[in-house]
Amino acid sequence: MYLYNLTLQQATGIVCAINGSFSGGNKSQEIVVARGKVLELLRPDENGKIQTILSVDVFGAIRSLAQFRLTGAQKDYIVVGSDSGRIVILDYNKEKNVFDKIHQETFGKSGSRRIVPGQYLAIDPKGRAVMIGACEKQKLVYVLNRDTAARLTISSPLEAHKSHTITYSIAGVDCGFDNPIFAAIELDYSEADQDSTGQAANEAQKHLTFYELDLGLNHVSRKWSEQVDNGANMLVTVPGGGDGPSGVLVCAENFVIYKNQGHPDVRAVIPRRADLPAERGVLIVSATMHKQKSMFFFLLQTEYGDVFKVTLDHDNERVTELKIKYFDTIPVSSAMCVMKLGFLFAASEFGNHALYQFQAIGADPDVESSSATLMETDEGFQPVFFKPRGLKNLVRIDQVESLMPIMDMKVVNLFEEETPQIFTLCGRGPRSSLRILRPGLAISEMAVSQLPGVPSAVWTVKKNVTDEFDAFIVVSFANATLVLSIGETVEEVSDSGFLDTTPSLAVSQIGDDSLMQVHPSGIRHIREDGRVNEWRTPGKRTIVKVGSNRLQVVVALSGGEIIYFEVDMTGQLMEVEKNEMSGDVACLDIAPVPEGRQRSRFLAVGSYDNTIRILSLDPDDCMQVLSLQSVSSPPESLLFLEVQASVGGEDGADHPASLFLNAGLQSGVLFRTVVDMVTGQLSDARSRFLGLRAPKLFSILVRGRRAMLCLSSRPWLGYVHQGHFLLTPLSYETLEFAASFSSDQCAEGVVAVAGDALRVFTIERLGETFNETAIPLRYTPRKFVFHPKRKLLVTIESDQGAFPAELRESAKKECFEAAGQGENGKMEIENGGDDEDKDDPLSDEQYGYPKAESDKWVSCIRVLDPKSTETTCLLELQDNEAAFSICTVNFHDKEYGTLLAVGTAKGLQFWPKRSLTAGYIHIYRFVKDGKSLELLHKTQVDGVPLALCQFQGRLLAGIGSILRLYDLGKKKLLRKCENKLFPNTINSIHTYRDRIYVGDIQESFHYCKYRRDENQLYVFADDSVPRWLTAAYHVDFDTMAGADKFGNIYFVRLPQDVSDEIEEDPTGGKIKWEQGKLNGAPNKVEEIVQFHVGDVVTCMQKASLIPGGTECVMYGTVMGSLGALLAFSSRDDVDFFSHLEMHMRQEHPPLCGRDHMAYRSSYFPVKDVIDGDLCEQYPTLPLDAQRKIADELDRTPAEILKKLEEVRNKIV
Amino acid sequence: MSVFGGDSWGREAHHRKRRVDDLLLDAAGDHSSYRKLSSGKYACLLCPHNPVLDTPLILSMHSKSKRHLAAESKLKQREEERQNEMNKRIALSLDSTSMNKTSNTFTKQAILASKPLTEKTQKATFEVLHSSYPAQGTAVSSQSISPVSENAPYDSSHLTNASFGQMEATCCDVQVPLDYRERRERELKFTAAGWKRDCHGGWFRDENVEFDSDEEDPNECLLNGILLLRHYESIDLPTLVIQHRCSHYVNE
Repeated sequence: MYLYNLTLQQATGIVCAINGSFSGGNKSQEIVVARGKVLELLRPDENGKIQTILSVDVFGAIRSLAQFRLTGAQKDYIVVGSDSGRIVILDYNKEKNVFDKIHQETFGKSGSRRIVPGQYLAIDPKGRAVMIGACEKQKLVYVLNRDTAARLTISSPLEAHKSHTITYSIAGVDCGFDNPIFAAIELDYSEADQDSTGQAANEAQKHLTFYELDLGLNHVSRKWSEQVDNGANMLVTVPGGGDGPSGVLVCAENFVIYKNQGHPDVRAVIPRRADLPAERGVLIVSATMHKQKSMFFFLLQTEYGDVFKVTLDHDNERVTELKIKYFDTIPVSSAMCVMKLGFLFAASEFGNHALYQFQAIGADPDVESSSATLMETDEGFQPVFFKPRGLKNLVRIDQVESLMPIMDMKVVNLFEEETPQIFTLCGRGPRSSLRILRPGLAISEMAVSQLPGVPSAVWTVKKNVTDEFDAFIVVSFANATLVLSIGETVEEVSDSGFLDTTPSLAVSQIGDDSLMQVHPSGIRHIREDGRVNEWRTPGKRTIVKVGSNRLQVVVALSGGEIIYFEVDMTGQLMEVEKNEMSGDVACLDIAPVPEGRQRSRFLAVGSYDNTIRILSLDPDDCMQVLSLQSVSSPPESLLFLEVQASVGGEDGADHPASLFLNAGLQSGVLFRTVVDMVTGQLSDARSRFLGLRAPKLFSILVRGRRAMLCLSSRPWLGYVHQGHFLLTPLSYETLEFAASFSSDQCAEGVVAVAGDALRVFTIERLGETFNETAIPLRYTPRKFVFHPKRKLLVTIESDQGAFPAELRESAKKECFEAAGQGENGKMEIENGGDDEDKDDPLSDEQYGYPKAESDKWVSCIRVLDPKSTETTCLLELQDNEAAFSICTVNFHDKEYGTLLAVGTAKGLQFWPKRSLTAGYIHIYRFVKDGKSLELLHKTQVDGVPLALCQFQGRLLAGIGSILRLYDLGKKKLLRKCENKLFPNTINSIHTYRDRIYVGDIQESFHYCKYRRDENQLYVFADDSVPRWLTAAYHVDFDTMAGADKFGNIYFVRLPQDVSDEIEEDPTGGKIKWEQGKLNGAPNKVEEIVQFHVGDVVTCMQKASLIPGGTECVMYGTVMGSLGALLAFSSRDDVDFFSHLEMHMRQEHPPLCGRDHMAYRSSYFPVKDVIDGDLCEQYPTLPLDAQRKIADELDRTPAEILKKLEEVRNKIV
Repeated sequence: MSVFGGDSWGREAHHRKRRVDDLLLDAAGDHSSYRKLSSGKYACLLCPHNPVLDTPLILSMHSKSKRHLAAESKLKQREEERQNEMNKRIALSLDSTSMNKTSNTFTKQAILASKPLTEKTQKATFEVLHSSYPAQGTAVSSQSISPVSENAPYDSSHLTNASFGQMEATCCDVQVPLDYRERRERELKFTAAGWKRDCHGGWFRDENVEFDSDEEDPNECLLNGILLLRHYESIDLPTLVIQHRCSHYVNE
């Protein structure tokens, strides 16, 4: 089996983010974010919407990012610390829209290791040096400089190692143009390591150490070291060298301390929320510094989401006071970026990222905490309290959706749409949600208006070719035409010159400033001054089809005659040529007039004899057939689409100009060929099934470029995105006819008719594969199941260290009453309802739940109707119980029908030792048509039931290391059979026929069999590789797919002969008495597929996202990405793609310096999986490299692109 | 052919070498004992590990080696044995179909053919059972044999007292409420529910298994079923079997 791995949705979580001016110039400000293995450049546009400018898969784990600017330069460079054992400096190339690798210096082994640098990066604020540090021991300093040609140079590394030292954070110290200094929080464990009594470990002390790079001696030395609080976790650079006092802010548990060499500590308490338990500290998790000409301040965010503004009162080098002022509360972020334009980008740890605009910078002088008011008592420093409030200084203007982390996923067509929906459980704590993903682009509907009848077609026209916006919307009915003028409002007009008593076949702007209406009996040409020229059809023949561009018109009459008109110099429409076709014309189109030309050369005519002809419109060979293409069924609609030449730039890679002919066939297939711009020959035909109706094709504008809208049983959009031609469905209803629409409210819209309504919409988030609908949940979702018959969804949610809902509510009420607000807002339980409550001044989604002790659990079981997004039943578990597993079960010959089994644990603790009070299995009955649950009974068990599954009319449960079979009893579940021989903890159970596939948390899969005549469970095969299983899926009788926590996906299969032997053993004696091998079962499964995804896969499922397509294995990851593994069906494809992959590996080594092959084989050698993500980077290669690879493969670049497109279309 | 191109002795030499190779190959034995791989090397098909040999020369040497010869003779021997076995089975099957109408499958007969004692016992049991019907039954002498053979295969593992009772019931009662499969299914249900059998065929509860308060007791419901079938019979099942066996030996 060979698989093709393709990421369908890139990771949406953000690990680290930096901001700067990467494209050069002072005005532009961009954000570079690392999403695990993807490096992205984002930019907020003028409307305050975050736009993704560039997204590159680097095939390596990005661990840290930093930006620097050489003195006097206008442009920032990006330094990347990754698991490649190399430091990489990137430059964003604005013209080509790529990251250019400026330097790549190897310093160590690859992989995320303890002592190989890459985890920490610090930059000298003047851009003269960069320090890259490991978690332990090693730190390297590179000197950055310029050569004579003003190019960036990098020195060989200078070592600042200290063995037996753990590093917590590093930062550059701003000391103007003196020798660069780097600060680090370090802990020396050499003594603690030697001392077995543990006393030294207790006395271990963190130090703040300054390393000085002596530029003269080219040497790094430890300059200064001083004790800091043991809770210190982060360093923030303080401006210096004239702008400020220099030094660093040390963020520690509960304190922020200003430190500098030769300066006394200035310490202030971080204010804490009043409801925080006393034993919990406050830590800073993200920080950013903003510097203007006259002032600077810091924004520090605590682990609870509160952002504090920290200011330093200083006179020259002396800091007199450190002030901490509560700023606002936003969801906990992994990185914050303050931009010069007055935006704050907060990359959330979990859930959607947000862009805020500053309303104020908290300038009023009263502060919560200050070093001047620090009170020291006998028990330590006096804490300072504050009360969080609504946003005052920030206002959210945009958010970027993030699925991180995907906890569970199922692909099912619950809504009976054309394609299945992907249901994902995402997020954590109060920001968790159920998201329903549908393949397709999101649209936003601008207007829907009813029309007097059922329209058949719609067009928009400009009055003049130079106009920016459309002037009229013309709607054709069965026997009338309606003209609407576009202005402030859209209203009907009668003085437009259009004939309104007849249906229209085409309406367009023609020449420079006149309009044309084609109706069945003639062509009406309306001049700018209101004069009307009418051309009538000869005899009783009627016009059936029209094709036109700005200067040419071709009409087809009934019977098959084609008449060609041109606009002459005076703006008159003149008949040029006639041609008799062999039969009726099915459709027509004229290519757009090329830039600087008088006419287009090509006319495409589709006939009912399943052919498409290209006719010449040149005066010397007018109406000559240039080429002929036969198709599988009669064409219904034709469209020429011109793709302009591109040399990279904002959107796309290098490609020459080309002309495509698209045809919608009656069978629902879209047929696409390349038209040779000179000869008119057709080549490189591709076809794709779009839907059950014949696609109608329309040309519209998307991001200023021509794109194609195809209306089949659902609408599709064909457009060019980052060098790829993408054909993506729109998540919208079936449309009849459409036209592009442009007005001052809506620059790039589409007007369409469907039924008796006129709809105006815009297309959003181009380039994305899925659009999502989110339903908020209360706690971190764990798993979910579908009620098999009723299309309902049952989720289990649980959180550690939070208070149950009633307690939270009462506490909140008290809090409000104390604040004198009373009961003004709605007091319903938020997140239990349908949407986040905007009136709620302190929504949990924003502020988080109040924290309880870590051994307290809250949990709920929810029945949800995904269609109405309504929660029909919500059971909050009591007494510190938390749900961990769920399944539906039908017990044999018992009267209840489908029951719900939920595995819970009470009082689960992970630290200092994993312990629990009890585990339970709850059995619920569905009542009220499955909308509600009723507890039947609960059974105590002696471990956490992490896996439940129905098996032969009974319930299989994995309780710790025990696999147990339960039957339903009157008062509890009855234990019928068990096997205690599993190594660690069972975390997944799948069944098929009489086989049971058990996944162990550390030891991969175990294949079991249940023997009824002996009432025993036997393990007959297991895996020889100890995999730490995170996701499992049953593929076929002998095959299981699994994912481990190191980011690998693998398939194991029981060899055919062993499988046969097991199945043909009637007495089972063989399984029973066979000798175990390698301390396990007698048989071993074989690994048939192995692939390093680079992200922890949490869920897998076999599904097909296209109707009638082959199934692929879909997976979701912690970072919020979705991918698919497609099995190849032909050996040729395998050969082709493995060769392409091989060439890509050579020609296009990954950006962060990790070898692609080594990356995909990080833990186990990659086996039988071809990386589609790498292959899909082919179009981003320079043209000559593309050609080189194509030559090696004996193909043309177009063929390779076609192959890539084909395989992608097989998946989504 | 020459690496240097042009007319050279290389091409000729190569031809000569190939000719020698062909001759050597002929010497290496018949063509089914080796295979030429796509890489130009040769794999021996007779030796158990299919050694890959670089040149025909080495192949020919290999085919003369002791190990290869041993493998060859072993293979020949095995082939011979297989042929013998096939002949035997074919003969037996012809034999048994003509002799024994109630034969089971061909394979089973063949297996039994190699176990004369089992076969003998089985034949004897069969005869005993047949002869005992008229003695016990009241009005069943006209019963055909075929349902018996269908319902009760003479596999030794199934030679339990239950099947005897069953068999008898089939013969004795015209209406059969519980056929073998159904009965087996019910038994399996009880074993799956955690019941175990003691050496007397009675049922007892497995101490590691939990039971509901109103769970069916197989001792009652299964026995009831049997008693229902054998309403005129008062002898216990095990004793019945012993009786049969005794009579069989007496007859002999």
